[in-house]
Amino acid sequence: MEQKIKLDFENSLKNSSFSDQEIRSKRNSLSNFLKIGYPNRKLENWKFSDISQIIKRSIGEVSYYNDYTTKNEIDETILIKDLEHNKIIIVNGKVIKFDFDYEDKDKIEITNVDQENVFHDKNNSLINLNNSFADKTYKIIIKKNYSLKKPLIIYQTTNKKVSNTNINFQLYFEIHENSSLRIVDMVDNKSEKNFVNIFYNFNLEKNAILKNYKLDTKISSNIKYVFDNITLSENSISEIFILSSGSNFSKNEIKCDLEGKYSSAFINGIHSLNNEEHHEIRTHINHLVENTKSYQLIKSVIDDSSKSVYQGKIYVDSTAQKADGYQLSKAILLNENTEFNAKPELEIYADDVKCSHGSTSGNLDEGSIFYLMSRGLDYKTARELIINGFLLDVVEKITDEQIKKLVKNIIGLDQ
Amino acid sequence: MLKINNLNAKIDKKSILSGFSLNINPGEVHAIMGPNGSGKSTLSNILSGKKGYDVSGEILFENKNLFDLETEERAHKGIFLAFQYPLEIPGVNTNIFLKTSLNSIRKARGEKELDAIEFLKLVKEKAKNLKFDEEKLSRQLNVGFSGGEKKKNEILQMSILNPKLSILDETDSGLDIDALRIVADGVNSLREKNNSFLIITHYQRLLDYIKPDFVHVLIGGKIIKSGGPELAIELEKKGYESFN
Amino acid sequence: MRDKQIADLKDYKYGFSTDIENIKAPKGLNEDVIKFISNIKKEPDWLLKWRLKAFERLKVLKEPDWQKPKYPKIDYQNLYYYSAPKSFKDKPKNLDDLDPKLLETYNKLGIPLQEQKRLNGIAVDAVFDSVSVATTFKDTLTKKGIIFCSISEAIQKHPDLVKKYLGSVIPITDHYFATLNSAVFTDGSFVYIPPNVKCPMELSTYFRINASDTGQFERTLIIADKGSYVSYLEGCTAPMRDENQLHAANVELVALDDAEIKYSTVQNWYPGDKDGKGGIYNFVTKRGLCKGNNSKISWTQVETGSAITWKYPSCILKGDNSIGEFYSIAITNNHQKADTGTKMIHLGKNTKSKIISKGISAGKSDMTYRGLVDVSKNALNSTNYTQCDSLLMGNECGAHTVPYIKNKNSSSNIAHEATTSKISEDQLYYCQQRGLNQEEAVGLIVNGFCKEVLQQLPMEFAVEAQKLVGISLEGSVG
Ligand SMILES: Nc1ncnc2c1ncn2[C@@H]1O[C@H](COP(=O)(O)OP(=O)(O)OP(=O)(O)O)[C@@H](O)[C@H]1O
Ligand SMILES: [Mg+2]
Repeated sequence: MEQKIKLDFENSLKNSSFSDQEIRSKRNSLSNFLKIGYPNRKLENWKFSDISQIIKRSIGEVSYYNDYTTKNEIDETILIKDLEHNKIIIVNGKVIKFDFDYEDKDKIEITNVDQENVFHDKNNSLINLNNSFADKTYKIIIKKNYSLKKPLIIYQTTNKKVSNTNINFQLYFEIHENSSLRIVDMVDNKSEKNFVNIFYNFNLEKNAILKNYKLDTKISSNIKYVFDNITLSENSISEIFILSSGSNFSKNEIKCDLEGKYSSAFINGIHSLNNEEHHEIRTHINHLVENTKSYQLIKSVIDDSSKSVYQGKIYVDSTAQKADGYQLSKAILLNENTEFNAKPELEIYADDVKCSHGSTSGNLDEGSIFYLMSRGLDYKTARELIINGFLLDVVEKITDEQIKKLVKNIIGLDQ
Repeated sequence: MLKINNLNAKIDKKSILSGFSLNINPGEVHAIMGPNGSGKSTLSNILSGKKGYDVSGEILFENKNLFDLETEERAHKGIFLAFQYPLEIPGVNTNIFLKTSLNSIRKARGEKELDAIEFLKLVKEKAKNLKFDEEKLSRQLNVGFSGGEKKKNEILQMSILNPKLSILDETDSGLDIDALRIVADGVNSLREKNNSFLIITHYQRLLDYIKPDFVHVLIGGKIIKSGGPELAIELEKKGYESFN
Repeated sequence: MRDKQIADLKDYKYGFSTDIENIKAPKGLNEDVIKFISNIKKEPDWLLKWRLKAFERLKVLKEPDWQKPKYPKIDYQNLYYYSAPKSFKDKPKNLDDLDPKLLETYNKLGIPLQEQKRLNGIAVDAVFDSVSVATTFKDTLTKKGIIFCSISEAIQKHPDLVKKYLGSVIPITDHYFATLNSAVFTDGSFVYIPPNVKCPMELSTYFRINASDTGQFERTLIIADKGSYVSYLEGCTAPMRDENQLHAANVELVALDDAEIKYSTVQNWYPGDKDGKGGIYNFVTKRGLCKGNNSKISWTQVETGSAITWKYPSCILKGDNSIGEFYSIAITNNHQKADTGTKMIHLGKNTKSKIISKGISAGKSDMTYRGLVDVSKNALNSTNYTQCDSLLMGNECGAHTVPYIKNKNSSSNIAHEATTSKISEDQLYYCQQRGLNQEEAVGLIVNGFCKEVLQQLPMEFAVEAQKLVGISLEGSVG
């Protein structure tokens, strides 16, 4: 792998316009990636999802070469029609369009993040991989006292020009005081067998609000890794919703640093899986100051030979008194070949806290099915009703009514 | 309408009903009383087609063998069970559930399915009759309902689905006096249309409002004594001991 | 060579805490020491080979480092692996033959054998350092066909049973400390309950670490044959010492068809002083195999002592309809660290497991619950219920909950709940208003918090455990 990846790296650089300093920084990231390589099950974080094996099995040899000068058309058919929205369109890892036409121009600024200033984590080799191969890194800044009028939809797309390839991209967001942003991620892959590696950085200033709805519902043989790094200042709120069902493999990692008093983080997720799909949500919530709050609700319905994993960690620093942390994961296993793994973890160093977690997994409740059938529903309908009800609970947590409707439409849960 | 002949039922090799027989004709109201654990709920569940029992004997409903029918097919045929412990089903909206249920039964009967407006009109009317707070119907099925509200919800469902045979498994337990009267009214109005009832209860009180045609005592897996309404009064006085 | 060693041993004057002379193997871990141990215990050849095999394995194993409590590196070459009170070289035949000083030590520990014999009807097999010193109530047990003796004695008298089951639950290749134990274990208890016998009394061992620089490596093996029942109690104490002492025991339980084993532990080893100096390293491997159908193994533990506790009493639910239970109270104060929990491995059909864990941390201590519930593909209709609660007192301590949940079976249900909280001001106020001082109030509330687990203990133990809960938290509030 090492030879190939280095070669692809040099070739990719040829078409790029990075400064020498940036190239140095990218080289550095690459060598950090190579130190660990793709994570495997020996690493605690990857215990339930050995991505090294998964890539080997479902992609085989990966190409890292990416020519960001290639022209790509926008596939208009994938755009959401009946909802006015801002757009960022990404094709094969390159941002090809920013469209904030609905917004006040002086309230939104788009800049470049210098390679020197990108997020590094020496233990996370996939972020290093992302840093070394990603195209330009953009930062979207929402200025003070501004709430975007329309939601922002980020189209994360790939087309047939790439296959067996590693695709990386990263976006940085800064939401200034008293401002708010709603983002919908729409994953739409027309390509096959790629490893898509995504990194988002969110910086929330005082009173800022972030809502990020991640929708991955279209069947694809791609493998996807998403890392969100969220930093919250005083009184800010982040709400993440994950609907995970399309990619062959997907892992969403979310790190929230609650650095400001009265900040809160919400993470709600759905795994609706079948075939051989294997999805994981891993969260890492750090309560670092007093009076912070986190809430997580993850539900899985898994069929065929699919596998769902939830690893959630709540960390409470000794100074973070009055922290309120809650975590609940529930799974319904519909087939004898499915597997659900969970590691709900609490690490607490302050005594005046309220933290709890729960996890249940098992079959559909036969009693409920009997109840519905005794009222005349056939087995299939009864089962569907119960499963939808089970999942709807999570969808109802979406605080943005417009997006809630959109999500219900997409998954056919509209009642 | 319902003929049970020599019904035996076991759970995990433990015999619960043995040699149980009962006949119910159209328009009749039968009450069954019996000590805790005597198998009353088991009987109701078997009539509704719950799985997990080892059964033998015969149950005919309108001359059809009930054992050939699935739970929902029995519901389509007009068997309704008001559960002793109505289940909470999180995430399932009560109204939507009711509509799905009603329409599947109507469809099976060859009747026209109701659209949302017709349905809501019907529910409104029935809920009003039962003094059932409509707001609760937009909540999740039985979730957060009080014990009595759950029972009333069962009766509301009964009056909407309009069954031929209603089995009420201790519907009176947990109801306040007013609710008891309302439930009885619901039953009596259905009764007028020649529908039948099997009422399981521990208390004579309910039978003051719903006059049964027959009262049966279930002990040791079978009916050991049958009689008219006076039997219930006797039972209340003497307890089950005297029947052993 | 051996003569020389024994000559060396003769020069060794006295034990540190009790004036009883010890026979020690020379310091260090090597083949010769293992041979020495095996030899002095007159072990059969197969066992020596077995030990050496474990030692070979040990050479390639690494000390684990995934657990939360970190400890200074142990110098395995600087430990004694065998130390026997000299006066027992000719083992006493009954209690009256015991060294009076030893009896006194037990009295200090609050378990006068003589007394206990009369009062409690508990048969005690005491392990003083490494050699089992006395076994009471032999007669009653013998009549029922129950074998309760030191494992050394069992090796001599019941070699077939030992050979069949030793290492059958914890293989010699298992992990570092288990393997170390297999190589150098010195003594421990052996129990065999014949088919359809209900053991008429609680069986008990009182462990105590005495000589300095000795690692204590007991080995306990309990076999409940078809349809039998036994309840086993283990108590542990150690005198104060500045340096840390290693304790790496292995406990294996085997329950055959319809058999039940209840194993209770109250561990009160020296936790070190207020500044974290000294104390026991308690690295114990405990595992039960529900081998037969309808068998049941239940672990109950109250862990209040040791500088570092690191143990996961586990159940392998192999037989259909078998049941595994784990009830635990772990309390850490000052600089203590505990990483404890259980593993429930569901292999058979209709298997059930239940985990109730209560962790209390105070002072500057650190507590981790670590557990695994693994329901395999063939374990149809199995269930697990886990509840794990932590209580924190002060904000210099830590509580960590790390459950691993694996469900590979759609007909099985797993439910896990966990909470972390502190003692509520309201509760304290209420108790104080009724005249309790703060410490009493805390003791009361904490005991309430632990109630579900305390209830599992046999009477005599429950009382002791309740007191311990209060004592362990002394000085932690205010
Ligand atoms: N699923 C089951 N598994 C094992 N035993 C059961 C099961 N369901 C019912 N039983 C047993 O069958 C017997 C009859 O139960 P049933 O619920 O029919 O009694 P009941 O007459 O309705 O009592 P109550 O008046 O208390 O409602 C009881 O002994 C009960 O414990
Ligand atoms: Mg009943």
